[in-house]
Amino acid sequence: MARYIIKRLINAFVVVIAVSVLVFVLTRAVGNPINVMLPLDAPQAERIALAHQLGIDRPLWVQFLSYSDGVLHGSFGNSWWQGIPAMTVVGQRLPITLKLTFYAFLIAIIFGIPLGMLAALRPRSWLDKLASTSSMLGISIPNFWLGLMLILVFAQKLHWFYTSGLGDWRHWVLPAVALGVLPLGRITQVVRTEMLEQLREMYVVTARSKGLAEWLVVSRHALKNAGIAVVTMSAWEIGRMIAGYTVVIEVVFGVSGLGDLIVDTIAHMDYPLLQAITFVVASFISLLNLVTDLTYPLFNPRVKFE
Amino acid sequence: MKRFKFVLLSLLAVTLVVSMAGCGGGSTQQSSAPKDSVTIAIPSEPSTLDAQYADDGNMRDVTDNVVESLLQLNGQTMKVEPSLAVSYSQTGATTWDFKLRPGVKFSNGDPFTADDVVYSVERQISPALKSNIAGNFDTIKSAQKVNDNEVTITTTGPDLNIPQKISLLKILDQKWMQANPTAVNTSTIIGTGPYTIVKWDRAQDIVLARNDSYWGPKPAIKTVTFRFIEEDATREAALNSGEVDMAVNMLPEYVPSLPKVITSEGIESGMVRFNAMSGVFKDPKVRLAAIYAVDDAALVKSLYQGYAKVSNPMLQKSGYIGYDGNLQPYPYDLNKAKQLLAASGYKGQQVQLVGESGRWLKDGELVQTVGQMLTQAGFNVSVKTLAFSDWLTILFDRSKAPDMIFTFHSADTYDVDRTLSTYVESTGPGSAYPNTLDKAIDQARTEIDPSKQQSEYDAISQTLYNDPAWIPLVSIDSIYGVQKNVQYKPRLDGVIDLTAVSLQ
Repeated sequence: MARYIIKRLINAFVVVIAVSVLVFVLTRAVGNPINVMLPLDAPQAERIALAHQLGIDRPLWVQFLSYSDGVLHGSFGNSWWQGIPAMTVVGQRLPITLKLTFYAFLIAIIFGIPLGMLAALRPRSWLDKLASTSSMLGISIPNFWLGLMLILVFAQKLHWFYTSGLGDWRHWVLPAVALGVLPLGRITQVVRTEMLEQLREMYVVTARSKGLAEWLVVSRHALKNAGIAVVTMSAWEIGRMIAGYTVVIEVVFGVSGLGDLIVDTIAHMDYPLLQAITFVVASFISLLNLVTDLTYPLFNPRVKFE
Repeated sequence: MKRFKFVLLSLLAVTLVVSMAGCGGGSTQQSSAPKDSVTIAIPSEPSTLDAQYADDGNMRDVTDNVVESLLQLNGQTMKVEPSLAVSYSQTGATTWDFKLRPGVKFSNGDPFTADDVVYSVERQISPALKSNIAGNFDTIKSAQKVNDNEVTITTTGPDLNIPQKISLLKILDQKWMQANPTAVNTSTIIGTGPYTIVKWDRAQDIVLARNDSYWGPKPAIKTVTFRFIEEDATREAALNSGEVDMAVNMLPEYVPSLPKVITSEGIESGMVRFNAMSGVFKDPKVRLAAIYAVDDAALVKSLYQGYAKVSNPMLQKSGYIGYDGNLQPYPYDLNKAKQLLAASGYKGQQVQLVGESGRWLKDGELVQTVGQMLTQAGFNVSVKTLAFSDWLTILFDRSKAPDMIFTFHSADTYDVDRTLSTYVESTGPGSAYPNTLDKAIDQARTEIDPSKQQSEYDAISQTLYNDPAWIPLVSIDSIYGVQKNVQYKPRLDGVIDLTAVSLQ
């Protein structure tokens, strides 16, 4: 077990390094940050001076060495755009995105698991149709549109919640719902498919034929075996939220988290900050995958780590 | 058993959340807000409060109300007026003298002195600051204290635009800055202005309070909260729901649904820059044909629903140094365009118009429409829309200049030299114009007699009118959505002036 974790951690480390190198090379291949950072009509001398100050007039390999040296010493440098250490900026924004993702995920599992189970237990019933239709809707509605509609109805017209910003729970409900709808749809579908499959298995037939109560058959046997697929899908969706969906949702709801920061960072071509963000997100997702794999034995004791 | 409990608990939680949402308490409207505070929604959070370091997004909306300069620009005329200096004079070709306002205090009680001015100038021009706006002050060499109420600023060469540049150079409290060197990046800034910063909750809001020891007239509003809402539609919703009192950068199509609208001219002007060095547009007749083919008034009316102004040929606003008041906008004249084109050697070669989309209001549509108008006059136009960073690279590479490229331009130092040295002078970063005017531009820039300088700029403007470097398009109005009880007089440069806000 310990060996397995160490092996996986080394793996994760390699992935994070690879992502960092890739981001380093790709950012430097697209355009010139000087053009973005300075006003459109800045004089030539100022452009040259700034390029020198930022060190981007040096050969690429020299820049990479100095970047690597910084990272090995725990420093990602100062954000060009904000003028403070890049990791400090990430540290300010990350908790907001994690909190939003947590709420959205809570909504997704609290609604998704029961809905998927009920649909599987009564296939082709109205409940099943409702679950399938709503999960399809959840997956296919563009989340920026859903976000704007939620704002229009529940904030602007009904005044139940705030349109945007951070604060008490009435600020969090709308963005969490808008963010959670897509994972909710996916989790409902996975739970339904997995449960249908499990309910056809021989062990379920056996359990039923020996007279076990139906709810015990469903909860203790079928759901537990469907667990691996549900956990895997959940981790995948959490990763997608942090490294993707939050970008749109945070911009729409004026939530200044990591997603909102990524947009501004790319617009400013702030290399140090972009590198810090991708490093943190890649590390987080690698660890999330590891933790997910480690939960498998809870659902299936036959899973062994070597 | 455990699993079943889990299902039950989940269902219970669902019911709880739904009922919580259902009886979600009262309303989010701030109906009982006191009469002397306002909340303003701006698109982006300042990255820092160091007004000498950056000019980033909506930063000046906050810092211009807190930190002042020796001089200031009148928000309506863009003319230089006294501020922390009561008067100034040019004492030599490269020296300027500033008499300081006596008895002024910073908001923390520190007295404002000549030492603060010298410190602020030196900090601003120091390469160590790595300031993004250093280019605004590249002609300033040094500052010397003459006595407690007088400072001399020396330039690297003659520069009649020093008063404009000084109006952008913020005066900081030396004592406080040296005691708190990083506070400007993280929490607050101390100035002499009409407001002080109460708190900056990163990623949430910035709260300002009236500075009751301010030397100037006392503003009407006591507390101001800036909130950051990037998405236009959400900013509109925040205004319509009553969460904020003012929302900046509203779109023309929102206007009918807003409680009240206040508009002002903008200073950024759209244009299409020609490659006047080679290709089809080397011939001035072809360039003029393109200019007469573009109907700016139609752009104002159809694209911006009236919330824009036709730009003048030099893309300048009155009040700018070197502004030529006699120059009228080119008329729209399709027949003249066709005649000019027939008289030139143009044989229907394809011409490229490069644009981008998403940086300015309706920029993508603007480029497409201009392309259509040129096609109508007989040009064989191919419009190419690029990603912003690719577009920038092409805009600033003289060797790769396409036939035409669209951009927005604002002369950040409020003078015609910024425009000429960027897009006309052959060394300018955005220039695709031959070097024929280089000498004249340099001559005017280093002129020491203002009236001579004006006539030199007029001559350059006249030459460019007939041998143009760009198609002038439109400048987009600033639209402020406000609650019915809010009064505001906007500044031309779009920076929010809190002293001009009041409530009925």
